[in-house]
Amino acid sequence: MKTISELTDFYYKTLYPVLQELEKDREAVKNRIIKIGIFYTLVVFGIAFSIFKYLDFEVFVYIVIFYIAGWAWIYKFLISDYASDFKQKIIAPLIKEIDENLDYLPDLHIPLANFNRSKLFTSRPDRVSGNDYVRGKIDNIEIAFSDFHAEKKHKDSKGRESWSTIFQGLFIVSDFHKKFHGETVILPDSAQSLFGDLIGGWLQANNFSRKQLIKMDNVNFEKEFVVYGTDQIEARYILTHTLMQKLLNYKKKTKHPIYVSFIKGKIYMAIEYNDDMFEPSVFHSLLNYKIAMTYVSTLHLAIGIVEELKLNQKLWSKV
Amino acid sequence: MSTPLIILIVIAIILILMYNSLVAKKNQVDNIFASVDTQLKKRYNLIPNLVASVSKYMDHEKSLLEEVTKLRSEANKPNLSEKEKIDLDAKITKTLGSIMIAVENYPDLKANENVMHLQRSLNEVEEQIAAARRAYNQAVTDYNNTLEMIPTNFMASMMGYKPKDVFVISEAERKNVNVSELFAK
Repeated sequence: MKTISELTDFYYKTLYPVLQELEKDREAVKNRIIKIGIFYTLVVFGIAFSIFKYLDFEVFVYIVIFYIAGWAWIYKFLISDYASDFKQKIIAPLIKEIDENLDYLPDLHIPLANFNRSKLFTSRPDRVSGNDYVRGKIDNIEIAFSDFHAEKKHKDSKGRESWSTIFQGLFIVSDFHKKFHGETVILPDSAQSLFGDLIGGWLQANNFSRKQLIKMDNVNFEKEFVVYGTDQIEARYILTHTLMQKLLNYKKKTKHPIYVSFIKGKIYMAIEYNDDMFEPSVFHSLLNYKIAMTYVSTLHLAIGIVEELKLNQKLWSKV
Repeated sequence: MSTPLIILIVIAIILILMYNSLVAKKNQVDNIFASVDTQLKKRYNLIPNLVASVSKYMDHEKSLLEEVTKLRSEANKPNLSEKEKIDLDAKITKTLGSIMIAVENYPDLKANENVMHLQRSLNEVEEQIAAARRAYNQAVTDYNNTLEMIPTNFMASMMGYKPKDVFVISEAERKNVNVSELFAK
């Protein structure tokens, strides 16, 4: 696979003419957003102030919520053309440059079935969204990933709806090179870091929504993660010392919480992010090195798991 | 209900829980050892094949082959204790390792389809054994901990439970032999 610096070179050299063109669009979009933003704010607050005397506090709160939601919608509408241009002209070639066998579908996301099959999260989502779906084969290993947002609906006693996030971030599915039958799930170790070894350990051992607790013989790994599974031996067959070390390194690289599971020949990986992967920058130049690096490195990180975790190393049992 | 009775019931429940957890831990150890044993047997069954296919080529390593054959017949004896099995396993791992290294010196042997296949099977079994061994060690550690910790230690000594041995995992194994690198040479 191409290195980050090779990809950055590609970004600045090959894509340079396209970037310059997009820069003009970006400037235009930025100016339009600022103008419309000011206008919108003045209108909403003008109306709010003119009827201020007749309003109680609760209505005022609703206006603020309406204002924010309305702005989010307008913003999305204003950048939509620019965003799709950016994805077609910058992100798509970048992905092709990494590997020709990868397809990029900007408007789709990982199928919900994949998310449910991963068993990474115990609650079933009621609403999912996402975009930037990439799928294909690298070294004959099937891989797919996308931005993914899964939410759950709640209703309070008054019948009011609210939504809570189950997971938001990057979701990756790939073939795994070892044969296994059971389920192994690796989660960030929140109990042990919150409550300490004794109580946290007890809580982990008695987590009823999960299978058996599997204690791993790597101290650092145990500190960062907790492992549940159906088979004590199989979990260790999958999680060799080498793989544990690689997952630790991977976690260090992403700097975000990661969830991993091994089910039915696949590895599922969820990396929690708060923002979208390939949203084009509006207020910073696309030629800005930092901006370019975020695009390149996120891509590299997602596609890199094949190499990073040595998934392309076929083991003999699967030949 | 009177207070003494409640205290008595609470103590009884605690005792039952302690007893059950001890039994569960002991059974877990036995259970996993059974899996280790199955994997070890799989490996023992590969040894005669291996010896048969390499002995034609290997002149200088006759003693290694004899040793591994001897170890295998020892391992196949009935009524071996867990400790004896663990010791035998360590010896066999070492001898098989030396044979595999020796194979590298014989280009004909390395290219031999049969030997390659055996090598693959051995590697696969090796990985399974490594995993089973680690699972066993964890189960034994949990078991030994409850044997030594207050308050379960009193009950364990009354039940006649004895601490168990763990497999010694060599430094080389911790690094995990990279199969493809072995073949890439």
